[in-house]
Amino acid sequence: MKKRLKEILDIAEVQGVIYLSVNGELIFNEFKAAPPLPLETINWSPFILALHGIRETELIFENIKIYIRLADSGFLIVVSGKFTNTSLVRLNCDILLPQLPELKKKSKGFARFFR
Amino acid sequence: MKKNVLIVDDDQVWLKLIQKKFEKYSDTFHAHLAEDGLKAMEKLKANHISLVVTDLQMPNMDGITLLTHLVENYPDIPVIIVTAYSTPESKKTVLSGGAAGYIEKPFVIEDLAKKIIASLKRESEGGTLQTVPLEMFIQLIEMEQKTCTLRVTKKSTGKTGVLFFRTGDLLEARFNSLTGKEAAYEIFGWEDVVLSIQDDCVLVEKRIDDDLQAILLDAMRLKDENRATADSLADSRTTGSTGPQSPARLKGSRSRTAAGNMTLGSQSRMNGTTRERTSGFQQQSSPKKLTLEDKVRRKLKNIPGAGKSIDRVKRDKKWNEFIAQADKIGKSFGAGKLKVCFVDREEACHYMLVPTREPVEISVKPDGPIDKMLLSLSE
Repeated sequence: MKKRLKEILDIAEVQGVIYLSVNGELIFNEFKAAPPLPLETINWSPFILALHGIRETELIFENIKIYIRLADSGFLIVVSGKFTNTSLVRLNCDILLPQLPELKKKSKGFARFFR
Repeated sequence: MKKNVLIVDDDQVWLKLIQKKFEKYSDTFHAHLAEDGLKAMEKLKANHISLVVTDLQMPNMDGITLLTHLVENYPDIPVIIVTAYSTPESKKTVLSGGAAGYIEKPFVIEDLAKKIIASLKRESEGGTLQTVPLEMFIQLIEMEQKTCTLRVTKKSTGKTGVLFFRTGDLLEARFNSLTGKEAAYEIFGWEDVVLSIQDDCVLVEKRIDDDLQAILLDAMRLKDENRATADSLADSRTTGSTGPQSPARLKGSRSRTAAGNMTLGSQSRMNGTTRERTSGFQQQSSPKKLTLEDKVRRKLKNIPGAGKSIDRVKRDKKWNEFIAQADKIGKSFGAGKLKVCFVDREEACHYMLVPTREPVEISVKPDGPIDKMLLSLSE
């Protein structure tokens, strides 16, 4: 499944893919080149709160686009260049989203004994 | 007319060298440079390129992928492949894949320049028209059922668009990153153009479904509307600059009376309504003082299908927190200024937001041309 996430990275001009939990916890990220700030240093919680009630959003900036999609267990974020075909990103997310719940961080509780 | 040639190679030293060598052909063409296929695609979207010279082996996007992209999306642009690792198979692959030429490194720069110039000449092999109105010539193409590739250059700006005709039928249009009907509307709206005619058309399939006459009529209507808007703005500007204002305009504007010769554009208050400064849509000097909502409506009106899909345009501060957070996240990625947002909240309408102190919220029906509207608002 992470392979599928990386498939989004193969779309022209896509720079990186991030998966955040509903609490703003960084679960997965893959970038073609290192982002300007380490993702771990970003406080995602206020942003996640601001996304309340939103199923899908696209933020178009001067230099890049950020596409965000609500999933069952969090948010998928695609960072891309200005000219990326968003429809293609959206289509790939449609294929990918049903598989995303598997990306939840594994619990370190009792469940690990029952694998 | 000077043409643009795009040279794509990951060897930056070679790129600089070839650009230097091509300086002596600067009256015929200008060499744009790109380090890989992806960067070449950006240049293609932003400029009217007449020919591409590309290396085969490059990072990010190689020459074969770029060639495939060009054949699909820019079929009229000839591609010359330059490679240091030539094999009979690679030569066969690229020539069967649509390349117009194949050169092995090392080569004599003048030979490449000759190939480029010969290819560029084909663009206007059917002649160049300097004074014929575009709409008249298009009707002639239709009547004569002509097959050609027509390059249209707007004299005032140098912008160039391409129209593809087969037996008088408009198959496709392209202007920078616009294609199809959208590009046709843009090009048909130009006045005072130079027409270069190429006597063939590489396209076979029809990519614009509508009838040529219907598109032409629509484009003329849009052109007339835009002209009327520009005229009315110019008129009102002239009126505004002639000193004394009409009583209606002065009503409720104490500071303005006191300022006397204060320019209209510098006013922050007019008729008791606060007008905000905006980043992407700077308010123009006009006594009518269009609101930002008006400007957004006008901007979107030119997009085919947008008018019907807009439900409401209004200011709404409830988006402030969302926009502030989006802006903050953007900064983490060096994204620059936030231009426009799209929001789907699983409601009957989607929203497009233009960030200002009191954001403009545009409610749109989900089946509207949302991507085109976003592109327009982000420009």
